[in-house]
Amino acid sequence: MASTRNNILKVIEEVKLLSPSAVRLLAVASKKDHDLKDIVRVIKHDAALTAKTLQLVNSAAFSLQSKISDLERAIAYSGENFLLSLVMTEAADMIYDCDLAGYDGHKGGLWDHNLLTALAAKRIAELSKEPVNTNVAYTCGLLHDLGKAIISDFLKGSLTQLLASLEKGEMPDYAGAEEKILGIDHTQAGYALACHWNLPEPLASAMRYHHEPAKAPKKYRSLVYAVHLGDMVAMMTGRDTGADAMRYQLDDHYIDFIKITENDLAQIILDTDSDFRTLKESMDEQPGI
Amino acid sequence: MAVILIHPKTRVVGMVHIALPESTINPAKAQDKPGYFADTGIPALIREMMALGCSGGPKQMVAKIAGGAKIMDPHNIFNIGTRNVLAIKKILWKYGVSPRTEDIGGTMSRTVTVSARNGRVILSSPGKEEWRL
Repeated sequence: MASTRNNILKVIEEVKLLSPSAVRLLAVASKKDHDLKDIVRVIKHDAALTAKTLQLVNSAAFSLQSKISDLERAIAYSGENFLLSLVMTEAADMIYDCDLAGYDGHKGGLWDHNLLTALAAKRIAELSKEPVNTNVAYTCGLLHDLGKAIISDFLKGSLTQLLASLEKGEMPDYAGAEEKILGIDHTQAGYALACHWNLPEPLASAMRYHHEPAKAPKKYRSLVYAVHLGDMVAMMTGRDTGADAMRYQLDDHYIDFIKITENDLAQIILDTDSDFRTLKESMDEQPGI
Repeated sequence: MAVILIHPKTRVVGMVHIALPESTINPAKAQDKPGYFADTGIPALIREMMALGCSGGPKQMVAKIAGGAKIMDPHNIFNIGTRNVLAIKKILWKYGVSPRTEDIGGTMSRTVTVSARNGRVILSSPGKEEWRL
């Protein structure tokens, strides 16, 4: 088991690094008080990203009357979240293309799950008792489960044993069962990847603690609770990653951090489903995504 | 959650995928996509099936339900799966129908496949063999 853990950590060390622009963009986007100008500043120094952004905004999905050639207008028009989704898909395509075979998942499932979590986390963050930047919650959601892509191959062949162990009640949740088999779970693998990629602290915290939000550093706890609940919404609505769906515990202390009612949740489910379909439709029109 | 209705006489089979118990949260959405809610989805399914010639009304139909995975939430906010099950059973009961078979609750996601040829309902879940409802 210790050797499997070491092998997984070795795989993480060999994961292709994100482009410098992607790292800078994520660093800017994870700051509480960032604005659109900060995003523009990063994108304009990267010719490929500038071209991609303009191509995106001028695509059929946005149905513009006349073409936009100014980067700032293009970013304002497409919205920061759309841009982050685009950059992350391209930056980590190797991981997003993973078929999650170890979870009996399917290709694209991880991307869909992370995207729905991001959209839900953003809306849930609006209900946080302490102010949380909703765009940061979105970015955290987009990345939160990347550790699954890392450990998926190592879980192949263990699924029956893992599910049996859960059904016997030997483990509290799927992450516990992953750790029992591999010596590391997807949140720990995600955190190691966040360190390898030099991701900012709020993002790394969400990757590590989205199933144990009470353990997140105090200053990011509300943010991580938003991601925790966003993850639940994604699973409840069927945008899951395979065999682990619904096999995690809800931390019921969410009520101390997020002021949410039954009706709020129903509306969030409706709105995120609609946001998800719109975003997917627009991204699917982009060549190479 | 999936509600499957089968009319044995005409061999008409219908299914609706319900996400939320009540449409009062968003009547406009319910107008556009009635299947999203239990209180509009089941009546819409019955209407469609009757329009296809399912005579004798809903009492002549066989109902099967699947899904509704549980989330333990002492605050009763996130346990939508349980609320969906209750809403679906209540509405079916109003039509005088009780599910002949059901596979509900638990902590797993389910995918439902219905054969329009023979009315068989097959369930699957990642990591498990398929089973018949």
